[in-house]
Amino acid sequence: MSDQQPLLETRDLSVRYGGVTANQDVSLTVEPGEIVGLIGPNGAGKTTFVDAVTGFARSTGEVRVGGKRVDGLPPHRRRRSGVARTWQAGELFDELTVAQNLAVAVQRPGLRGLIRDVLTGSVPPAATIGSALETVGLVDVADRRPPELSLGQQKMVGVARALVGGTSLLLLDEPAAGLDTHESQHFGVELRRIAAAGPGVLLIDHDMSLVLDVCHRLYVLDFGKVIATGTPEEIRNAPQVVAAYLGSPLVDTAAAVDGGRS
Amino acid sequence: MSVFIQFVFLGLTLGAVYSVFATSLVGVYAATGIVNFAQGSVALWAAYTVAALRTDGTLVLPFGGSLRFGDVTSPMPMVLAVVVGVLSAGLLALLAHLLVFRPLRSAPPLANVAASVGLMLFLQALVVLRFDTDALFAQPVLPFKTFTLGNVVVNASDLIMGGTAVLVALLLWAYFRLTTTGVATRAASEDELAARLVGFSPDRLAAVVWVVTAMASGLIVVLGAYTIGLDPTSYTYYVVPALAVALVGRLTSFGVACAAGLLMGAFQAVLLWANTLEWWPSWAQAGLGDAIPFVVVVIALFVLGGKIPARGALTQVAMPEVRIPRLRPLPVAGVVGLAALAIALTSDSWRFGIVTSLILSLIALSLVLLTGYLGQISLASMAFAGTAGFTLSKATTEWHVPFPISIVLSAGLATLLGVGVGIPALRIRGAQLAVVTLAAAFAIQSFVFNNPSFTPYSGNLIGTPNLFGLDLSVRRGTDLITLRFSMLVLVVVTTTTLVVMRWMAGSTGRSFLAVRSNERAAASVGINVAATKLLGFALSAFLSGVAGCLIGYSRGQLSAASFSVVAGLSLLAIAYCGGITSVGGALVAGFIGPLGVFYVFLNQTLDLGQYYQVISAGGLLLMAVTNPVGAAGANAEMLRRLRRRRSEHSSTSARTPTVAPAKGLTSKVETHV
Amino acid sequence: MNAAATAAPALSVKGITVGYQGVPAVRDLSFEVHPGEILALLGPNGAGKTTTLLASVGALPVMSGQISALGAPIDRRIERTSRRGLALVPDSRGVFRQLRVQENLALSKRRGGPPVESVFDHFPKLKTLLRQTCGNLSGGEQQMLALGKVMLQEPKVLLIDELSMGLSPIAVQDILPRLRAIATEQAIAVVLVEQHIDLALAIADTSLVLHHGRVALAGPAERLRRDRQLVEAAYFGTTESNHQPQMERR
Repeated sequence: MSDQQPLLETRDLSVRYGGVTANQDVSLTVEPGEIVGLIGPNGAGKTTFVDAVTGFARSTGEVRVGGKRVDGLPPHRRRRSGVARTWQAGELFDELTVAQNLAVAVQRPGLRGLIRDVLTGSVPPAATIGSALETVGLVDVADRRPPELSLGQQKMVGVARALVGGTSLLLLDEPAAGLDTHESQHFGVELRRIAAAGPGVLLIDHDMSLVLDVCHRLYVLDFGKVIATGTPEEIRNAPQVVAAYLGSPLVDTAAAVDGGRS
Repeated sequence: MSVFIQFVFLGLTLGAVYSVFATSLVGVYAATGIVNFAQGSVALWAAYTVAALRTDGTLVLPFGGSLRFGDVTSPMPMVLAVVVGVLSAGLLALLAHLLVFRPLRSAPPLANVAASVGLMLFLQALVVLRFDTDALFAQPVLPFKTFTLGNVVVNASDLIMGGTAVLVALLLWAYFRLTTTGVATRAASEDELAARLVGFSPDRLAAVVWVVTAMASGLIVVLGAYTIGLDPTSYTYYVVPALAVALVGRLTSFGVACAAGLLMGAFQAVLLWANTLEWWPSWAQAGLGDAIPFVVVVIALFVLGGKIPARGALTQVAMPEVRIPRLRPLPVAGVVGLAALAIALTSDSWRFGIVTSLILSLIALSLVLLTGYLGQISLASMAFAGTAGFTLSKATTEWHVPFPISIVLSAGLATLLGVGVGIPALRIRGAQLAVVTLAAAFAIQSFVFNNPSFTPYSGNLIGTPNLFGLDLSVRRGTDLITLRFSMLVLVVVTTTTLVVMRWMAGSTGRSFLAVRSNERAAASVGINVAATKLLGFALSAFLSGVAGCLIGYSRGQLSAASFSVVAGLSLLAIAYCGGITSVGGALVAGFIGPLGVFYVFLNQTLDLGQYYQVISAGGLLLMAVTNPVGAAGANAEMLRRLRRRRSEHSSTSARTPTVAPAKGLTSKVETHV
Repeated sequence: MNAAATAAPALSVKGITVGYQGVPAVRDLSFEVHPGEILALLGPNGAGKTTTLLASVGALPVMSGQISALGAPIDRRIERTSRRGLALVPDSRGVFRQLRVQENLALSKRRGGPPVESVFDHFPKLKTLLRQTCGNLSGGEQQMLALGKVMLQEPKVLLIDELSMGLSPIAVQDILPRLRAIATEQAIAVVLVEQHIDLALAIADTSLVLHHGRVALAGPAERLRRDRQLVEAAYFGTTESNHQPQMERR
């Protein structure tokens, strides 16, 4: 796979809000079929990174998808090039049923849509939507609206919505937050199945058991910079990671973290 | 040059009114996040109160009777009358806060727009009902002195007005900057929860601002009414230029709002002077002054840039509920058949009312699509209809375009205009978008509909519609409205409505709802949000345009009054309360709308025609407050509750152990309902 | 841990279930905090810590259970609760970014309470920043201001959400011991939500770890401090996190 272009490649990606640097020179790759974890304490800049890749935050540096530069494109164009994301807060369309939430990602509006609506009624493609819902185990609630679902189910609707409509790269922003332990484990299994089918996955989550379990590789962000990268085992045992996550009881450890960061 | 300066000073009085309205609007926005369309109506009440007190000492109460404090020979003394008038404005604003706006605190922005537009129409109608507006004149309050500055003669009253406006702005600024409650008000608008955590009640802070700003607005109108003249409409709509200048100050700066208001007044006065100049083009002689607010708004939003700060709300705001329509042949045939029957069985004014209601429901439907589904508040629908109507006049009488094509052509032009008005929607949303569209509507009304260069006062005749030699004209002999024409309207409205329902139920409706619900998320699933918004404005303007053509054909001749901005405002507000997200709501709006069936009923059957506006606007307010998410929302909520109760029953009884917990993600719902 | 613990609790949470739109985020949670006592409320993101704090001041209605503070039940009138002596520093810090530092402090000043200058005893740096707009302050300065503000409110119960958010570990190490001192001196009951577990446990008396909305671990802070494995297990849920020994579930 190494001779091919990576699915996602960022080079020196930086994001600044006013005087605050939320991401600094983040370089990261995701290969097809690979699940890559992006972890770090609160406020480390993980969501900002996803925003930058998907076009919701203005960034400097390069973002390439399948070798093609996409930085500079508006969010909907990036989605159409295969980059799909989920949101920390779900961000579902509350007035639409679960199935309709997915249908929106498949049938987009326009003049052709107007004519199709009148002539055929634009019935959503049942097979596409059904299989995406099956992947996340939500077939039973296809006709419910998101506010009627549990938080965990809402998160999964977001994942399903990102899966339909031609997706080669999936960016998941805390999909397991709000799931209970059982749901979280189940989600891990499904996630592996999704990746095995081809798309690359970038996973942000605080549920360490999930992240350490399903990811092939991990990147650790702190204060907007990559402070470590490696396999789950390497990361689990890296002292600077534990320090960044849990804080450090001793002053020297804090200094060590600073050293590790620079 | 000296004449120029002379006119600048003359404009100070009107400018002061704009200026105080604008600073008041900034204050109310800072305290509540509400764009108060009723600011002018409240001040209007104060002006008429003072006029009545100064004429014969009558204190007119909003309801019931009135109190006497003198008679024609000895009316209430000036200072006392002014104080009472100003207090009446404050009291009205306090009532509005307590009864209307506080209950709507966590309602969707559209509910606040509907309520404040409703309040504006209600108060204006109340003024007309309660005061003898034909006989009352404003008495002079300010001295008549003049003096000369250089070679310019200046009225002392103009200077006092300008000075008062500056003083009001200064005092408001000082309140918000220097007093603890004022600072707390600003804090609450930034973060309501944090303000409450420090111990301040945003409601009480808002009440103070409502009262103070209403009193300031009342005062400036009372002082200026003698110079400007007193009539029951103009002050109500001075809120439009005031909103425009408030937007220049991004709804946050008192200083900019005050200065821009004074400038706007001076500029409009100078335009009056320019009209007398020989080289001034004739097309610019009417309505340019009213078109300026729109230009100002667009400049403020696009050239000056910068975002208008949104209010940090404590609770998530709800959106009006949506039920995606399903086309069932039986109910559709039933409704259409009923309408056909009603048309056949009636004649003259009743049939005219029914046809008008049908046409209005089409305009309301354009709002359902744009506002209900796409979430873009537009107050310009009547302007789109009017554009098509006046184009139709030209198309049929001058260019001789045959019947169905004439409608498509005219509505097509309205569509282009719709896209133009929709462009600001790419930058702003909510109540601010409402302001822009309202300013656009006023600009179009004054500059196009009321401009003899475009639409001659002599009348805008419309050719009779013919289809394959069949005469479809509205009148024949003494028949006020023919059956044939009425059926034509029914066919056009039905077909259009069915097409729109297909859109609403299809991919277009779903994408619109997605954009309304969450723009970021819509972009993240690949929807081009900007293009979708423009599509919505285009479709909506086209529908309004078709309705405007039908209005044209039904009248045979058009004037600006056929498409007044007020009618558009009432229609939006009524449609909101009837259910801005459903076809049924559009039908209700058509039924209640101006000159529709409900009006005919009030006028013909009950002989209460003069109460139409007060009844409809009052009902509107009541609906807005009791059902902040609209009638459709209330119904849907009830339905859902019923269904939930039923499903709870069935799920507890029908659940069997075979429902395996393997799909752990789904097993949670039942346990927590 | 200290003598004050024997007195009546300043904040008492009994069996609450709280959530959003009918979906619980915290289930059947109970705890008590006494005057002068610090409770560290820990757990990974999404565990329900912020939800618990919001419910405790009345900003979120409870679906079941009771909360009472300073001898009276909590209702939705947040501003009255606040004036009774219950203070929350929310995760957004609760500073008004558009206002100046001195305006922020003036809003929290209570009639008959300590003067604004008393804040400078704890945070002398704020004195030099009085005329600055808060949006321009650094994260650490904003956090000082947030703490300074609540000190002026003279709280008897103090809830703090993510004091260390965006701060460097060194800055946190600077602030937390001060909090300990203030709590002890003024007999304030403190609930501290914190992601720097060790720093939080170092100053806390009792602690509680939430995981997926339920109590995963509860007990004296000292015990968690000693047995780091327990905490890590509750956090990372390495293996069978469901079967972790659950201690003293109140």
